[in-house]
Amino acid sequence: MYNIIGHRKVNYSISGTIIVASIVALFVYGLSFGIDFTGGSQIEIQATQGMSRENLQSLLKESNGLDVSIKTSLQGSFLIETKPLTTDEHASAIETIQVAYPDARELSFSSIGPSVGNELKQKAIVATILVFLGIIAYVSWAFRKSSSLHVKSWTYGVAAIIALFHDLMFVIGVFVLMGHFLGTKVDSLFLTALLTVLGFSVHDTIVVFDRIRERLKIGEEKTFEEVVNVSVNQTMVRSIATSMTVIFVLLTLLLFGGESIRSFVIALLAGMLVGTYSSIFVASPLLVSWYKFRSK
Amino acid sequence: MTLRRKIWVTTVCIILISVIAGYVDYPKAPALRIGSYQKDFNVRLGLDLKGGSLLLYDADTSNVASEDRESAVEGVRDVIERRVNAFGVSEPVVRSIRNGDSWRIQVELAGITDVQEAAKMIGETPSLEFKEEAIPVPLTDDEKKAAATENEAVKKRADEVLARAVRQEDFAALANEFSEDPGNIDPTTGEKLGGDLGFVPQGTYEQTFDDVLFTQMKDGEVFPQLVQTQYGYHIIKRIESKTVDQDGTQVVQVRASHILFRTLPTDTKPIEDPYTVTGLSGTQLKRSSVQFNQTTGEPEVLLQFNDEGTKLFSEITKRNIGKTVAIYLDGVPISVPQVNEEIPSGEAVISGSFSLDEAKQLVERLNAGALPVPVTLVNQQSIDATLGEQSVYRSLFAGIAGFLLIALFMIWYYRLPGLFSVIALILYTLIVFAIFKIWPVTLTLAGVAGFILSIGIAVDANILIFERTKEELRSGAPLIRAIETGFDRAWLSIRDSNISSIITSFILMWFGSSFIKGFAITLIIGIVVSLFSAITITRTLMRMTISEKMQAHPWLFSISKKESLEYVQHNRASQS
Repeated sequence: MYNIIGHRKVNYSISGTIIVASIVALFVYGLSFGIDFTGGSQIEIQATQGMSRENLQSLLKESNGLDVSIKTSLQGSFLIETKPLTTDEHASAIETIQVAYPDARELSFSSIGPSVGNELKQKAIVATILVFLGIIAYVSWAFRKSSSLHVKSWTYGVAAIIALFHDLMFVIGVFVLMGHFLGTKVDSLFLTALLTVLGFSVHDTIVVFDRIRERLKIGEEKTFEEVVNVSVNQTMVRSIATSMTVIFVLLTLLLFGGESIRSFVIALLAGMLVGTYSSIFVASPLLVSWYKFRSK
Repeated sequence: MTLRRKIWVTTVCIILISVIAGYVDYPKAPALRIGSYQKDFNVRLGLDLKGGSLLLYDADTSNVASEDRESAVEGVRDVIERRVNAFGVSEPVVRSIRNGDSWRIQVELAGITDVQEAAKMIGETPSLEFKEEAIPVPLTDDEKKAAATENEAVKKRADEVLARAVRQEDFAALANEFSEDPGNIDPTTGEKLGGDLGFVPQGTYEQTFDDVLFTQMKDGEVFPQLVQTQYGYHIIKRIESKTVDQDGTQVVQVRASHILFRTLPTDTKPIEDPYTVTGLSGTQLKRSSVQFNQTTGEPEVLLQFNDEGTKLFSEITKRNIGKTVAIYLDGVPISVPQVNEEIPSGEAVISGSFSLDEAKQLVERLNAGALPVPVTLVNQQSIDATLGEQSVYRSLFAGIAGFLLIALFMIWYYRLPGLFSVIALILYTLIVFAIFKIWPVTLTLAGVAGFILSIGIAVDANILIFERTKEELRSGAPLIRAIETGFDRAWLSIRDSNISSIITSFILMWFGSSFIKGFAITLIIGIVVSLFSAITITRTLMRMTISEKMQAHPWLFSISKKESLEYVQHNRASQS
């Protein structure tokens, strides 16, 4: 058996460092939002002979007066991003490209007005708050009969939420770095991934808490610290095994799933890993810390 | 019910569900028909997988009274839907979305990737127009000259044929060769009639024609001059005549044949469109509503014009008494009522044989056409079909690869129970996919990702159960009891933990654009079905196959003999 709870200060400092680093990165670099949020257009063009980012960029600047940023995808296409285009502007941009590269094919086009983006931002914030509230309410309710001499039932909810916040910050931190160094954009799919991670992270945490509740009833262990440590150890294999299976499918999706869901899958992957970590090394130790703090 | 019986009943249910799911999943499964109810089992693919365009319009309802907004937006939606139908798109989706005070109209066009073309056709504002019967327009001097010259040429041609007819050439053959009378062709058989007009009494034809035929000709004669009417030049042959008794008076009927050479009118333009624009259109319509005719009780549509429209309508009706006025919607006449008197009230009634629904629909359309509800395109997306196809294959491949990895892992790690969980997982996949088809859930790329993800999550319940069973076995419990305890004890954790995922999914559904909604729905279906597959199916499989004898082979349950012994000893030591 591993003495996880005994070493909780080490875990706290690792997690604390991660959260602080994420927040610092968020303020220094900021998240780069995709066109879902900012409004804008994205044109995906199948690459053809002689096409290059520089060529496309200067072509569109000269002929259409468009300031564009261009990325290449792993599937060999060019992703051109620019301001929201009207139907006519889009048509003339495509014409410009097709005059220069007759074989060029437009694979996809999306144009999103800024008002839609703002609406999405607001909804995103509301949705995140709702998920937090929903989970704290649910966990408190599910553990309502678990108030013991050691901790009250709502403590479980709070510990789960702190772990959630920890996970959220980690995934955001990963995306801040990816945005800064790789140009990855935050889009609505990313947000979906983030909210899904919240759901799964608490899923893991609840399994551990359930075991704590059970061990408390059995009463084999002498101290609360021991109860939590045994519970964490007993559920650890399961937590890791479950994460393994999910990580398997996410890895296959990452490798074969295509460009448009790549960042979505990366967010889920990062969230899954950190969620498993936090349910073992953050949420449960927090219960013990709270208990110790209260008993002083 | 005894346990044994229960196992059998559950087994039968599982087999039944699997067979139904398998049938639905089968790609060529014929549609289900029960009476008039019909259900097909096609996979619905979202635009990002099928290719197509998505257009989102913002309807500016700021100038519309709030109680009329909904019907105004519905009307806009109907107009768009009719335009979209004109593209010949299969299953176009046009829906209005309300978001607080803002109204949006979303258009999904599968298979149409020319987003420009689509946007152009949809973007036209609905048009309602009132038109009156066209009054011939006088020609200019130049046009008159041109027409006269043309008519000279026609006359010359006619004279040549007249000479041949007078020389006793076959009249019918000449008529078939030269006559420009559209009535010379039988509308049903397409045969030419040789210029034959049949028996008619005097006074049937235009004055000049009639006079010549009845007063200046004998039977069997060809009139030696061209006869000019408003239609053009005629060569006339009087074939025969007879006297018939009509209500006691003797009436002479003449059968004639003619060859027509059409001329251009020399004073007014030829009429092509029977109705011309009056300047009265939807912009002058204040509102329209459904009412019922006081005498017949049939539904009618009442139009109310604004001041400008009232004045125009009054003028139009005044000058068209006894004639018809046509009401055009989107360039198509929807009603052509006759004007009986001048209408100064600014109210018009469209009566016709409307059903109530038709009348309501028309009112919606008219209100939309009349009310200033401009739509602006705020969001457009188009995805090439090949890109969508690639995504389908990639996802399919990812799904299969992920499934195999999980299967290998489960069997390697949990041995026999792992094998059962893989069987349950196969059934899980079949059932979820069948539900997608039956529901039907529109599969988007994110939705497929959600489905694949749910395969990974579906085994979580099994893992919880098997870990629990292993613990029980290690502490020396007999096999069957260890398995049952594993299921019972793990249930609480499974339930509690999945509810939190379901809560999140519901919030995602509320939040979502259609793409995200697809993900959330597939996730919810996945979670619910996984509870059934991981618990009920796996448990039944294990109850049916595992016997106490297998206790002798702990390897099957990935427990070593040594491990269980050690644990038992350890327990004893700590208890003593």
